[in-house]
Amino acid sequence: MVGLGYGFRTVRLLNRSLIRLIAGFLVGLGLTVSIAACSPVGNSGSQVELTLVSFAVTRSAYESIMPLFAAKWKAEHQQEVVFNQSYGGSGAQARAVVDGLDADIVNLALALDVKRIEKAGLIQPGWDKDIPNGAIVTHSVVDLVTREGNPKNIQGWSDLAREDVRVVTANPKTSGGARWNFMALWGAVTQKGGADPQAQEFTAQVYQNAPLLPRDAREASDAFFQQEQGDVLLNYENEVILARKKGMDLPSVLPTDVNISIDNPIAVVDKNVDRHGNREVAEAFVQFLFTPEAQREFAKAGFRPVDPQIVQEFASQYPTVNKLFTVKELGGWNEVQAKFFDDGAVFDQIQASLRG
Amino acid sequence: MTLNTGTTIDRSNPNLKNATQSGENSRLKWVLIGFVVFYMSLIIFIPALNVFYQAFQGGIAGFLHTLTEREFLNAVRLTIVIAAIVVPVNTIFGLCAAWVIARNQFPGRALLLSIIDLPFSISPVVAGLMIVLLYGRQGWFGPLLQSLDMKIIFALPGMVLATAFVSLPFVAREVIPVLEEVGPEQEEAAKTLGAKDWQVFWRVTLPNVRWGLVYGIILTNARAMGEFGAVAVVSGNIVGKTQTLPLFVEEAYKQYQTQAAYTAATLLACLAIVTLIVKEVVERRSGLKRGTH
Amino acid sequence: MTSTTQSQPSRRERGKFSLPSMPWRVTILYLSVMLLLPIVALFAKASTLSPAKIWQIATDPVALSAYDVTFTTSLAASLVNGVAGVIIAWVIVRYEFPGKKILDAAIDLPFALPTAVAGLTLATVYSDNGWIGALLAPFGIKVAFTRLGVFVAMLFISLPFVVRTVQPVLQETEIDVEEAAWSLGASSSQTFWRVVLPPLLPAILTGIALGFARAVGEYGSIVIISSNIPFKDLIAPVLIFQRLEQYDYTGATVIGLVMLLVSLVMLLGINLLQAWGRRYDA
Repeated sequence: MVGLGYGFRTVRLLNRSLIRLIAGFLVGLGLTVSIAACSPVGNSGSQVELTLVSFAVTRSAYESIMPLFAAKWKAEHQQEVVFNQSYGGSGAQARAVVDGLDADIVNLALALDVKRIEKAGLIQPGWDKDIPNGAIVTHSVVDLVTREGNPKNIQGWSDLAREDVRVVTANPKTSGGARWNFMALWGAVTQKGGADPQAQEFTAQVYQNAPLLPRDAREASDAFFQQEQGDVLLNYENEVILARKKGMDLPSVLPTDVNISIDNPIAVVDKNVDRHGNREVAEAFVQFLFTPEAQREFAKAGFRPVDPQIVQEFASQYPTVNKLFTVKELGGWNEVQAKFFDDGAVFDQIQASLRG
Repeated sequence: MTLNTGTTIDRSNPNLKNATQSGENSRLKWVLIGFVVFYMSLIIFIPALNVFYQAFQGGIAGFLHTLTEREFLNAVRLTIVIAAIVVPVNTIFGLCAAWVIARNQFPGRALLLSIIDLPFSISPVVAGLMIVLLYGRQGWFGPLLQSLDMKIIFALPGMVLATAFVSLPFVAREVIPVLEEVGPEQEEAAKTLGAKDWQVFWRVTLPNVRWGLVYGIILTNARAMGEFGAVAVVSGNIVGKTQTLPLFVEEAYKQYQTQAAYTAATLLACLAIVTLIVKEVVERRSGLKRGTH
Repeated sequence: MTSTTQSQPSRRERGKFSLPSMPWRVTILYLSVMLLLPIVALFAKASTLSPAKIWQIATDPVALSAYDVTFTTSLAASLVNGVAGVIIAWVIVRYEFPGKKILDAAIDLPFALPTAVAGLTLATVYSDNGWIGALLAPFGIKVAFTRLGVFVAMLFISLPFVVRTVQPVLQETEIDVEEAAWSLGASSSQTFWRVVLPPLLPAILTGIALGFARAVGEYGSIVIISSNIPFKDLIAPVLIFQRLEQYDYTGATVIGLVMLLVSLVMLLGINLLQAWGRRYDA
């Protein structure tokens, strides 16, 4: 009996202190929250906050576009626009928005990622109809970076399947963006009249030639450039241009016979702008991105512009591709994902066939 | 078992600090030092040297330019704030857990110990995911937090949680072996002499475990400041707001600003200097204490 | 599980021991909030799948080979560091030599350096044209982008553990015992095996356990130095990340849980071994 009573007392004591401890913990948590919340979120009057979540390499373009827009908005509305910016891998960024990152505008590497946010109920269906050019704000294509002087004489897609060529490309499984490379390889066959089995054989051959599958385009270019792996690097034209600007010396061959149009979509996150009360400025910013002055900045940063006037202006920098195909020609995003990248789909089959 | 008769007992000066009396021992010493230098060169020094080399490759101007960037300074500040919250909390927990495990025998002791180790073996990506599953928009507490208009993830609290998670085991794990090594006898003696619990803790336990504690805190701090994976998942990486130093490094790298990335990394590498200072201070303090006893 | 282990000893130690059960409560509460709750969430997420599907994801051939690479390489790395770490700790604590402080401070570098930077610099130094890789290349040894590279990265990130757990114990043990052994005529190796090593053993095992755990979980640096090719050097954390990239949260949790359970069992093994070792010690 004594033991029992003792036990009870322990439990009661434990409970009381437990409550105190939990209370303490919550107070601490509350404090940190309030510290975090201290940053001003005044979306009325003289200041308005806008959060852009984008894939990694768009930053240099936005750094120049944002001041332009802020000046314009200030002149028209006497309101200061304060930008919050977040850059990272497209898939990771989309997941963050789905999980509660307060993005007002998303600009991602592929529409599939925007569709995920739509599916989570944060973006209204039909977002791509309200924005110019089907919500595609920039383009790019796949570029083949070679070694100095092109010792392996790589001229186009078919050379990638040659047995003496080692190819470096990011892994479509870890990098959403790297799926463009895979689709470019596939389309290089099918868009020239080849059938699916041939396309699969060709892509399998290319991945057979890939000694490593880095996580993303950036790491692929370091593996190629810094660690001198492989003879040719599959990368996006915009990344190649950016890398060149930052001092990497990358000779490249752009396949202009047939290439994929890498379309980077933009969208306003409806749920968030309605909560923040900044829909007007968010939509104005998106519209602004399609103006010639914003498009020019994208073009400077390495992206193919979508504004015809700026396309003309940068014609020498961005050679025309004879047969440019889009995801639609491969059956649209849903089919592409199911056919190529899902568990047990083509990419898995290719990897399994390369085993051993 | 047999008495060693080959070398005679000429190690007659036991007061010497280093066991370097005989030629054999001196040789052993330098062989061991040589091995350590070789091994650490391969694993740590040369890779670290490469980081510095890359940071200064573009000249000192680029290096200094990065150090004065506003975003960089913000990242430094945030990193320090997070460490300043996480290190004390984890230290208190670590001391409690170490005492529980080292001073008590109970069923499931090894299990508790293994559970404390777990955060290391949980991949940072999964660690971040777990926090998202709890506090994310669609997580268990998501609706509650939203109705309270509280932000945990993609704000400081989430980053603190993630950092605390990955650095949770250090203090406990460093202190336990020392606590076990010194044994409970001194504490019990102090207790019977009428010392209060907290007196025992401050006067007996803490001085005994000071080295374990120091290493525990140093490691907690290093890991807290260097963590990338788990924090990346829950930070949202908003430039100038929720970007820690490792996230800054990652982003600079992704933007092909390689030198900026390596510059920020060298700063983190210089954390090792903190180690030196902390150890120096503790050494001096405890030296004084020993002197007065 | 925790409630049973908690109530009994807290009562026992109350009557007998110096500190109140405050440490118990802090430990249990903190562990519950920080560790158990998230793990429960992970289990809950995985359990939305049918058992058959869970089994299928967990035992996928790619996953199996990834577990194999992760666990065997981690174990090898932590054992190698077990030996090297003891020597490093010994040298730092017992010897005086120029540059010792630098050596000591550099031990923590693997933690402070962001993992991506660690991966980059290791990949650069150990690639065929790197500072160290170029020396090994003539012998046909490729480190970066092979399993050996994964091993080196694991050595790097788990090095501090053994050193830093052995060091404090070594600093606390008196040098007199060793000297007594010397003066009684024991040889170096005898002194080492009979006198020096036994009290260090728990700390060494702790260090190995922690290093192992850390190596198993490491992602950031390995993803860069590994070629990430399945059946060759793809590690499980990268596989988890791949599944997340496909928005396959549940698939990621399943593999995460397998990793968690296997590590728990292995850690439990090491910790029990240590407890068993101490029984003989006493």
